[in-house]
Amino acid sequence: MTTFEDLQSQWKKQPATETPENGSKQIVEKVALIRKKQNITNIVLMTTAIILIFFFFYVSAYKSQKPMIGLSLMIGALATRVGLEILSIRSLKNLNVAKATEIFKKQMIGYYSKRVKIHFIITPIIIMTYCIGFIMLLPSFKENLSSGFYTYIKISSTVMLVVLSIFIAKQIKNELEVLKELKQ
Amino acid sequence: MGYVNGDEAKAKDITQEVFIKVWENLESFREESGISTWIYRITVNTCLLQLRNEKIKKTSTQSEFNNVVEEEEESKTTHEIQLKSMYACIHKLSKENKSIILLELEGLPQKEIANITGLSHEAIRVRVHRIKNSLTKCVQK
Repeated sequence: MTTFEDLQSQWKKQPATETPENGSKQIVEKVALIRKKQNITNIVLMTTAIILIFFFFYVSAYKSQKPMIGLSLMIGALATRVGLEILSIRSLKNLNVAKATEIFKKQMIGYYSKRVKIHFIITPIIIMTYCIGFIMLLPSFKENLSSGFYTYIKISSTVMLVVLSIFIAKQIKNELEVLKELKQ
Repeated sequence: MGYVNGDEAKAKDITQEVFIKVWENLESFREESGISTWIYRITVNTCLLQLRNEKIKKTSTQSEFNNVVEEEEESKTTHEIQLKSMYACIHKLSKENKSIILLELEGLPQKEIANITGLSHEAIRVRVHRIKNSLTKCVQK
């Protein structure tokens, strides 16, 4: 008959994990990698926004009303999404890991509940706004682009929308799962 | 190691993250508790944060693990098999219970566990008793 004390003594007999010789170097490298990743994300998002703004002036969208509204909606939706993501990352970083676990868990539940609200209310609005903006742009695409390129844009954007929706749905499912586990 | 079902690479990643967080939060340490309690808190909370990186593959991980145990059973010693089975049983617990029992297995006084988790000493005592029973039963299966 195994008792908990037997288990505990077995547990303590485990060989200690060796301390890596270059441990501190690895940590410094990891910090650098995290910063690099954050920078890359920021650069990608900024570049997208810049391209859209550049495109806005390039096609002189401000001259006619419909494309202007369309592009503005798309840029606005993207900017809102980026802003929300930045705020979200910031509030995740602000969670105080040095607090007692119960308090920390409540902070995490608060964070994820807010994320769920964003996913179920704001994200669909953002996607719809982006789609409406895109649809409003379609007539000017048709006018200015060759029919082949116009078809390509229509098909590729539909595929992109489907892929993006699957990606977002997976993220939502994952975060709901985390929330469920935290509330256990 | 216990928290991540014996996955050494994951354990190493979390350890590095704990070091980074300890370093980042060092200024906020106010000596209200011992430094070890403070570091344990950061460790437990960092493990909790790992939830967001986990894939929802619990069932498959469990069956994969069982296969591995069966395959390795003949070549491993009883001690190693029992440890593996302990890792699997701990992995089945909720995140909170997992942290509590791992701290207990490390031999920390229950008062300190209460301090780390923010639960009352009495609540920890009851909780540890329950987890100990279920863990022992699970390993014996």
